[in-house]
Amino acid sequence: MEYFKSGLKSVLGGPPPGTQPTGPETVEKLVSRVSTSTLLEDRRDACRALRALSKKYRLEVGAQGMDVLRQVLELDRADPEIIGYCLDTLCNITSKEIFEEERENDVNPNLNVGEQFSEMFLKNPENLPVILSYLEEYDFRVRWPAIKFLISLTTCKPKEVQEIILVSPMGMSKLMDLLAENREVVRNDAVLLLIHLTKSNANIQKIVAFENAFDKLLNIISDEGYTDGGIVVEDCLLLMLNLLQNNTSNINFFKEGSYIQKLTPMFVLPENLEEIGWSPQKVSNFHCVLHLVRTLVSPNNPAQIITSCQKTLRNANLLEALCSILMASGVPADILTETINTVGEVIRGNLTNQEYFTNVLAPSNPPRPALVVLIMSMVNEKQPFALRCAVLYCFQCFLYKNEIGQELVVQTLLPSSSGNTAVTTGQLLCSGLFSNDPLSNWFSAVALSHCLIENPAQKEQLLRVLLATNLGAQPVTLLSQCGVFLQHTSKLQAKLGILMLISMWMAHCPPAVKIFLNVPGAMAFLTAQTSASEFDNNAELLQGMCAFIMGLCVLFNDNSVQNYSKENLSQLIEKRVGLETYCKKLNEIARHELYARAAKQPQIRAKHSSELLLEFEFCKLFKIMEGSIIQALGVQRDLSNGISELSLSEHENALLLQYKDLIRDQDKKLQECQRKYAFLQKQFEDVKAQKDELQQTNIQLIDQHTLFKAQMSSGANINNLENHQNDNSAEIIENLKAQLAKKDEELADKIAELESYQKDQDDLLELLTAQDTKLNKFKEKLRQIGALPKEEDSNSEISDNEDDNKPSLL
Amino acid sequence: MSYAYLFKYIIIGDTGVGKSCLLLQFTDKRFQPVHDLTIGVEFGARMITIDSKQIKLQIWDTAGQEAFRSITRSYYRGAAGALLVYDITRRETFNHLTTWLDDARQHSNSNMVIMLIGNKSDLESRREVKKEEGEAFAREHGLVFMETSAKTAANVEEAFINTAKEIYEKIQEGVFDINNEANGIKIGPQHSPTNPSLPGAGGVGGSQGSACC
Ligand SMILES: Nc1nc2c(ncn2[C@@H]2O[C@H](COP(=O)(O)OP(=O)(O)OP(=O)(O)O)[C@@H](O)[C@H]2O)c(=O)[nH]1
Ligand SMILES: [Mg+2]
Repeated sequence: MEYFKSGLKSVLGGPPPGTQPTGPETVEKLVSRVSTSTLLEDRRDACRALRALSKKYRLEVGAQGMDVLRQVLELDRADPEIIGYCLDTLCNITSKEIFEEERENDVNPNLNVGEQFSEMFLKNPENLPVILSYLEEYDFRVRWPAIKFLISLTTCKPKEVQEIILVSPMGMSKLMDLLAENREVVRNDAVLLLIHLTKSNANIQKIVAFENAFDKLLNIISDEGYTDGGIVVEDCLLLMLNLLQNNTSNINFFKEGSYIQKLTPMFVLPENLEEIGWSPQKVSNFHCVLHLVRTLVSPNNPAQIITSCQKTLRNANLLEALCSILMASGVPADILTETINTVGEVIRGNLTNQEYFTNVLAPSNPPRPALVVLIMSMVNEKQPFALRCAVLYCFQCFLYKNEIGQELVVQTLLPSSSGNTAVTTGQLLCSGLFSNDPLSNWFSAVALSHCLIENPAQKEQLLRVLLATNLGAQPVTLLSQCGVFLQHTSKLQAKLGILMLISMWMAHCPPAVKIFLNVPGAMAFLTAQTSASEFDNNAELLQGMCAFIMGLCVLFNDNSVQNYSKENLSQLIEKRVGLETYCKKLNEIARHELYARAAKQPQIRAKHSSELLLEFEFCKLFKIMEGSIIQALGVQRDLSNGISELSLSEHENALLLQYKDLIRDQDKKLQECQRKYAFLQKQFEDVKAQKDELQQTNIQLIDQHTLFKAQMSSGANINNLENHQNDNSAEIIENLKAQLAKKDEELADKIAELESYQKDQDDLLELLTAQDTKLNKFKEKLRQIGALPKEEDSNSEISDNEDDNKPSLL
Repeated sequence: MSYAYLFKYIIIGDTGVGKSCLLLQFTDKRFQPVHDLTIGVEFGARMITIDSKQIKLQIWDTAGQEAFRSITRSYYRGAAGALLVYDITRRETFNHLTTWLDDARQHSNSNMVIMLIGNKSDLESRREVKKEEGEAFAREHGLVFMETSAKTAANVEEAFINTAKEIYEKIQEGVFDINNEANGIKIGPQHSPTNPSLPGAGGVGGSQGSACC
């Protein structure tokens, strides 16, 4: 209400009534002229005037004029000029943008007015097809505003527009034809429109691809001079990205259509690039191209797609081109960073590409492997953080599923026979591992740990690595040095890095466990951390990690260290830490926010170095090992329990009957729960349906409200003296507001109800799971004492599942 | 990798008749026993040889379910060939053919080659539609006809390749405007687009004569 009053005041504030019509009055008159005048010329003039007012008096023009404008679009089809004015006006009132003129009119313009008018316009499903039909009109005065109006609508209500276009015959085809436009402005806006339309809608993306979008876009890109082109190149690339992201079918089409080969010219850097430099547009365009390549080989795609795209990229010499950008000078840091990431994903898990990468040489004197140069940057504090992260990711990609590469790196650490003095990857990593920069420690530790993934041979090889510490002192093994450094460094990041390396190393490698157990103070350190109780600055991660390492020491212990046999360590955990505390600490890791973030994707994504504590492959290892560790510690207890049960075997029969009763009982309860669950689910659906209905009503009310508001504003103007009518409208609005509030309340109640149902349902589910587990346990026990035959028809479902999963004991 | 021509196909027909299976058999030589309902449209591609020319087939496998009909219609216009599939063990899929055909004729370009396919020929014991009925329908509507089995791969190659041959012949006859991409045909990158009458139009007759396979 306030909004309108103040808006009106500024309009009415000046001259006394009668001398000059106010804006809203004018709008009212114009609208009526458009709808009643029989002369085309009159209507046209009125529409032109409405267009002029549609920014400043957007609300009035929209609320009063939308229907009339729509009529014009149907009736005055033959006159391009009036159609153009109409489309322009509609474009303005549905725009998401807030216009300067609006601000002059009102200090607090309604932010959603464009969206609301878009929604009103789209509510009638026949409206949009009319606009689509105007795309076929060649006249510039019609086609261009039609496109712009569609952009407005799509920006405000993408889902709705997408749905309507999909069901309107040839809707997408009409849009696609616009890419062949010879008037650049029109074509460029068509590209923009398509960008909005293809966002997160796989069906539209596929149709657009089918309609030869890639050919058309690549043609535009090449006409515009590839990455040297203007913003339209960037837009074309963004559209291509939309078509490919998470759309396997389109990626497959892109590859099969030989479009990858057509990207090659984009990666050619001019000879004199260092002199001419990189314009901001070129940087943007280049980013998009790199992003495009990454979309094709993203680790999220199906493996088959990744492999074939990687192969095509190599055969099209794009990998080569990317590597040369890597080694070129004068490349801006963020482009370089993204290129490193891109190279990483192009070689990830692809032996041929990885091998190619191994042999890339940097043009230094003497030439060094690109790999070495990259690692140098990674352990260099002066390099930008993002770049260092990218190098680590690229290195990980190089090692991914690459036993040869892993061996190659580890080899450079072993006592060498050749006497080669050149700097090696291994040496760089080793010095980074123990340097004063905790981030270098972390990067190097993670990098080294990736040399060991699923590679027992390299785990053993790396054990042979010796380090000279102080002059004259005995050389120590790399692993013991890690154990020592772990206790000395005060930096959490360094500690966690080292611990991740150690865990990767010791998993499935008893000789590594043995060496680690012999590091002076190591076990005491782990025990102290695991039983510590401070909880700040991510200390829980450190404690959890130490617990994890202790668990690995139990799991992969070959009992060769006297004081730390499997049995001893289990005792240590049980007595000194307590199993419950231990499990709690272990759980801390997977519950941590940084764990969730790291486990999401292989690429290291962090804004700041302090966020780098955990890493993807470690998370994978942790997930696999956590269960085994708990089992290893728990199983031993169960064993001792089992023995005591066996000694009771005289009562076998009685026991058996008892258990059978119990199972029957639980079965009944289970069914009961299932019944209840089904019932609740039905109720839940019902309430949800009710809620949706209410929401619908609510939306309608809000619309009516907006309309009323607008109508009232003009009504108030004209009937300025007839206050009672004003009051009348005010009353209606108050009424509506009250209704709205009531509905809101009802909605809130329903939502609360819904939530409580949902909670009930969750509880029931939990109960079901618990019962399930219990049941299984009982049965397992029965089976152990041999009382339960393998087949049982009384509680078929659960036992069947179990038999499927486990190799039978009988 | 390079090709003389590229043809776009669509596969249409009721849900469950085996469209996706036919495509998978053709591109990957595999059979998928579980019905993996197609959502919208899926893409597949393969290279074939006709008249010693490399021809790339780009195939869009559409969803048969009614709910996707408006989406799949968008693919008719740009296709050079269509496989219209029914299931010989379900008569209703045969009965729906007229609807499909009307739809296709209405939305596609008039030269689109349509191949009628009675699929699941391996399930002879459950046959509900006689082969003669399929032949009659095809004759009546001017379609090419073939019974296939996506399971045993019987006639699958032939179905796709014969469709391509039809298109190829139409090109030779000059029926297709190959410079109009909306027809679902593209000329390979190394072939001159300025010469629509095509390399060795005369040679085709000769090769047809010698074509024994
Ligand atoms: N015996 C036999 N079964 C087949 C054959 N072709 C397909 N099927 C089976 O029929 C079912 C449906 O096959 P799909 O290819 O997924 O069907 P569709 O036509 O793609 O169905 P929509 O995607 O829903 O349109 C699957 O269970 C297939 O295993 C065939 O030639 N012989
Ligand atoms: Mg399918």
